[in-house]
Amino acid sequence: MPTESLSNEVRLLRFLAQDMTQAELGRRVGLTRQTIAAIEQGRYSPSLEVAFRIADVFGKRLDEVFHWNPGDGGDASAVPTP
Amino acid sequence: MSPLEKRAWLTLWSQCPPYLVYFLIQAAWPDWLTTFQQRIACLAVVAGVHAIAYVTGLLWMKRQEQGEPLLLDERDRAIDGCATRTAYFVMLTGMIVVGVVMPFSDSGWKITNTALLAIVLAETVRYALIVAGYRRTPRLAH
Repeated sequence: MPTESLSNEVRLLRFLAQDMTQAELGRRVGLTRQTIAAIEQGRYSPSLEVAFRIADVFGKRLDEVFHWNPGDGGDASAVPTP
Repeated sequence: MSPLEKRAWLTLWSQCPPYLVYFLIQAAWPDWLTTFQQRIACLAVVAGVHAIAYVTGLLWMKRQEQGEPLLLDERDRAIDGCATRTAYFVMLTGMIVVGVVMPFSDSGWKITNTALLAIVLAETVRYALIVAGYRRTPRLAH
């Protein structure tokens, strides 16, 4: 069974941004504090739009904040052939 | 705890006990309430207890939140949407039983109580799934 996972650096980036609170980050991207906590713990994968907003808050690219770890089911670098 | 999850717990706690008692009475002692007035009064008491418990809980919750509006984000909406879709099918099944099957086999209060049971069951499923959703959120719920 494929075991894909999406990890992120949100907790670390919050710490580096003068220990920004979850509530503050949530306010800036339009999420509740509980959802930010769920994202940090890997219990929720945000929509692409929210992921971009979070990256924007920290002034980072999307792939610097979120990482997709493909399991058995695929290769992240694989490009479908036409 | 998310505001939606709090409201889900409130609904479950205010709704399930009174209606459970009501349906147990209806199932165990069907002949206990004989007249229309008695049955309506029993239903009114149950609905009243539910309403009082819910409003009291809601007021207490509003006081705790200190007037903050109920803001739902995409995760809340995804969990709510998933729970509502499942509850819709519970309600649909109940209404088919009540409206299509029972008119040919039963009558009166049996139909009324089954309809009520379908509504309560659908609501219970919805809010139970919301509570469960916050514990085992699908990673890609949207």
